[in-house]
Amino acid sequence: MRHTRSMTISALAIICAAGPAIARDFTIAAWGGNYQDAQRAAYFEPFAAAQGLTLLETTYLGGLAELKAMGDTGNVTWDLVMMGGTDAQLACDEGLLEEIDWEALGGGGELLPEAVQECAVGNVVIGNGFAYNASAFPEAPKDWADFFDLEKFPGKRGMTNNPTMNLEYALMADGVPPAEVYAVLSTPEGVDRAFAKLDTIKAELQLWEAGSQPVEWLVAGNVGLSTAYNGRIISAKKEGKPLEFVWNNHVYNMDVWAIPKDSPFKEQSVEFLKIANDAAAQVKFSERMPYGPTNTGATAMMPPDVVANLPMGDNIATALAYSDAFWIENYDALKERWSSWIVQ
Amino acid sequence: MSSAPARPYGSRAAALLMLMLPVALYLLVFVYPLSSVVTLSVDNSALSGRFDNLSALGPDATPDGEAAALLADLGTMEKKQLGEVARMLNQQRSGFRSLIMSTGKEAEAIAPTMAGLVAFDARWAEPGYWAIIRENAAPITWKHYQRALGITLAEDGSLASGEDLYLRVMGRTLVITLQVTILTLLVGYPLAYAAAHGSAGVSTFVLAVVLLSFWTSILVRTTAWVVLLQTNGLVNTVLVGLGLVAEPVQLIFNRFGALLAMTHVLLPFAILPMLNVMRTIPASQADASRSLGAGPVETFLRVYFPQTLRGVAVGGGTVFILSLGFYVTPALTGGPEDQMLAWFIADFVNKTLNWGMAAALSVLLLAMVAVLVALAGLARWATARRKVEAA
Repeated sequence: MRHTRSMTISALAIICAAGPAIARDFTIAAWGGNYQDAQRAAYFEPFAAAQGLTLLETTYLGGLAELKAMGDTGNVTWDLVMMGGTDAQLACDEGLLEEIDWEALGGGGELLPEAVQECAVGNVVIGNGFAYNASAFPEAPKDWADFFDLEKFPGKRGMTNNPTMNLEYALMADGVPPAEVYAVLSTPEGVDRAFAKLDTIKAELQLWEAGSQPVEWLVAGNVGLSTAYNGRIISAKKEGKPLEFVWNNHVYNMDVWAIPKDSPFKEQSVEFLKIANDAAAQVKFSERMPYGPTNTGATAMMPPDVVANLPMGDNIATALAYSDAFWIENYDALKERWSSWIVQ
Repeated sequence: MSSAPARPYGSRAAALLMLMLPVALYLLVFVYPLSSVVTLSVDNSALSGRFDNLSALGPDATPDGEAAALLADLGTMEKKQLGEVARMLNQQRSGFRSLIMSTGKEAEAIAPTMAGLVAFDARWAEPGYWAIIRENAAPITWKHYQRALGITLAEDGSLASGEDLYLRVMGRTLVITLQVTILTLLVGYPLAYAAAHGSAGVSTFVLAVVLLSFWTSILVRTTAWVVLLQTNGLVNTVLVGLGLVAEPVQLIFNRFGALLAMTHVLLPFAILPMLNVMRTIPASQADASRSLGAGPVETFLRVYFPQTLRGVAVGGGTVFILSLGFYVTPALTGGPEDQMLAWFIADFVNKTLNWGMAAALSVLLLAMVAVLVALAGLARWATARRKVEAA
């Protein structure tokens, strides 16, 4: 068995060695789209200018497959990657990421406490809720109970094909206060309760894979209501689409910057993280892409009309903080239960 | 160059070897990944190799001995290895991850007895965790196949049925694949006929349409169907506008949409082989049949159609094999109930790093194809035999 693996690795090594031996450029992997455009303006361009280097960009689609392959073969092709907090923690535990030198970054005291992680720097706060087309319903839906109410708000329901967040939404729709969601979800009865609530909209479920789909579907009238990222909906709204995002009881999570293990550009990455942590740069980002900053000083520097579109301030008064720890522990089992439920 | 070769046979052998090189390379490129996938589906060395002390214990080990061995194993693991072990064990039981991570980090400080372990974390008193560790002490595992086939092993080693999620998905994958194969043949046959025997204009038109869609990216064609068939899309607008339906009909994000898009995407693979075979059938055969008194239907059924079956088999077989592995098109045009097995394989590879499970599902998909090919071969052999006997 080990023989096979070593053969795979040597085969890959031969392929890699056969490639050009020149050093590659600094490479950043992020989520693409408008999101990456905003990062380019706020962070990438100032960083490349300050360091005088050529910057390559690529797209990352979540999961650990690429990082694992880089770790196994030693052919590290990314120097910075923007990941979800859960994946970053998993990758950190498996030694796929460099530990963050917080001393070199000045301790991280200016950031939210959750942003200071062993192998990652929290950079973006994302609001996950649901959205609707304002021209579709005479009365606006206002909470998760409405999302699950097919009589009051008829039509398909867009959701991701994943238990994460959807189980939280179902429990909140069933009357569980945000503060108790994870305690309830940690019990088998709580999981049953969430799936029982999801059963009520199962027939109308329509699954989305990419963040652009809820926007397209809501605009085209393919779905009545859909879960969505706040950034996508608000960007579409700014472009004149009649979409609204419901902040009430939304779930916010954090995207983080991480450095793949054995990246040859570690020093430059530290300089990048200094720029990414800077309050003014984060304001610049949030003005382009309506996601929240992790630098607590950034809030005061933002005009109120920007803050109104971000998962912060009044918008997170009733929100639930996504638990990376819960999902790291329970993802495998709940994902199988979810798939089984979907397939039925 | 100018002198004649001294050993003509020697150089011919060399040339033959040179010609065979691509074949050998092809076989290697084909067989090697296949064998590594099979290996990956039963290989448990990444886990069993980490529990040397525990697997060295005999069957009569005391609980304290097991506790000490476990702590010794966890204590020698690097941080990275601990993370891997924790991830793999957590795939079998929720909560195993934190148990392994916390125990591993403190392994040296914990008293090497069962009481010490339980005092550190009460979960170690549960036999379920120990059973999973013991099960994974062997370098070969069938756990992925058990999970894929919905079989669980009871405490006494007897078989019981468990979660049959993947069996259900496999069954559905097979049904969708058969539906798509039949549809592409039904739609493709007349089109191929038109291209083979129609006037020059018709033939060129059909071929151009088929090839144009053949050369367009699958993603583009799939998205085009979404635009056409969605609730307020072109088709529904026309239907409502003509008064054929009162409300827009759900044409996509269900089985209908998935079948339509997959049939369209795979149609060229059915048409081209059938067209090739149809072109070789001389028109004079039909004339001969008609002059001998057969009507057009009988001519088609007894003279023309049997000769095209070879093309139908090749086209249908290609579509069948290709659609078994589909996942982007059904994911974008189907409903929740139309995800195919490949979607789950991709999810295991990319999202949860459970390559053993992905490999086991791939092997089962392959086995499904092998069984069907064997059945088809058997059917052919039986018909051939019957013909020989009849003669």
